[in-house]
Amino acid sequence: MTETTTAVPAPRAVPAAAPTGEDTGPAGGSDPQTPTAPELLTPEEAARALTDAPVRLTRGFLGLDPVTQNTALLARHIGDREIQVLRYGEALLGYTVNPLQPRQAHVATTSADPAPLDALLGFLADYQRATSFVAEVPEGTPVLPALESCGFTPCGVLPGHLFHSGRYREVLVLHTDREG
Amino acid sequence: MTTATPAITDTVHETPVRLRGYRAADMPLLTGSWLPGELLGLPDPGRPPFADLASVPPPAADRPGDELYVLPGGAFVRFTEVDWVHRRARLETGFTTEAAAAHAPGLLTAALDRARGTLGLRRVHGWVTPGRPGTEEVLRAAGLAREAEVPHALWLDGRPVGRQIWGMCSDD
Repeated sequence: MTETTTAVPAPRAVPAAAPTGEDTGPAGGSDPQTPTAPELLTPEEAARALTDAPVRLTRGFLGLDPVTQNTALLARHIGDREIQVLRYGEALLGYTVNPLQPRQAHVATTSADPAPLDALLGFLADYQRATSFVAEVPEGTPVLPALESCGFTPCGVLPGHLFHSGRYREVLVLHTDREG
Repeated sequence: MTTATPAITDTVHETPVRLRGYRAADMPLLTGSWLPGELLGLPDPGRPPFADLASVPPPAADRPGDELYVLPGGAFVRFTEVDWVHRRARLETGFTTEAAAAHAPGLLTAALDRARGTLGLRRVHGWVTPGRPGTEEVLRAAGLAREAEVPHALWLDGRPVGRQIWGMCSDD
């Protein structure tokens, strides 16, 4: 740990080289500079950031839907569920602790680059003592490669869980362990 | 869960169950020894004596998304995380006694009918913690199917245990 913010400890070092030619975040793949530190967003800031990001990356972000939920409702859900949203470079990262199993966190990312998510998992393992991680993503999501690169494996499919673009869609449930 | 936990199919009542809306006098039904958030919240005789009882909140103006019904004197049915756009909700139930748990199949059927008919929901899902004999048979008989198995989803008996997601979709 070389740098910290006042809000949260900095995740462990992130590889500087991001995959080329891929969508690395809300801005749609512009120059992915290595961020120096994550920025923890307030619920209102997180709601606006999710609303402004491309919907293909944010629908289903920890169960949120910036298309059908306005920023006020998003902020309320983020606050009620104690969701933490961080901006890390051009990626938005989110997590919330399972209240029935505090060593498990539900996580989400808007980046197809695995580095920001890997940094988040490292932070949660090192500072929150999380050992188990769950992600739920809509079918066809561009962020699936990032999850798979971080070791997530499928553990189920929720049929018809999400409606968008004229039809009901499946949601994939993925899980990984990271022992401390 | 303990090995002494009875199989619910041993005492099942086949009589139809009629749900009604929650009233303030039903408050005692909202607290019991079931596992929190369980789709089929049967009483757990192996619950540690120091453990907090599970409970669900009564309806409140700041939670307009919850729908709460009761089987008078015996159980509650709660639809939470209701999403009217995606037409889905998470279902949880809680039975106060083993005698009430005998109505589990009828209560599940009534709850799913309520979801489809009255609430207009297309999808209902919920958490199931494996271990209670006969649970899967009751869930399948109600039309539910196992959709996912999430490891380490609940802290129980001194260790993390896996939980399953069961659900159903109505074609319409």
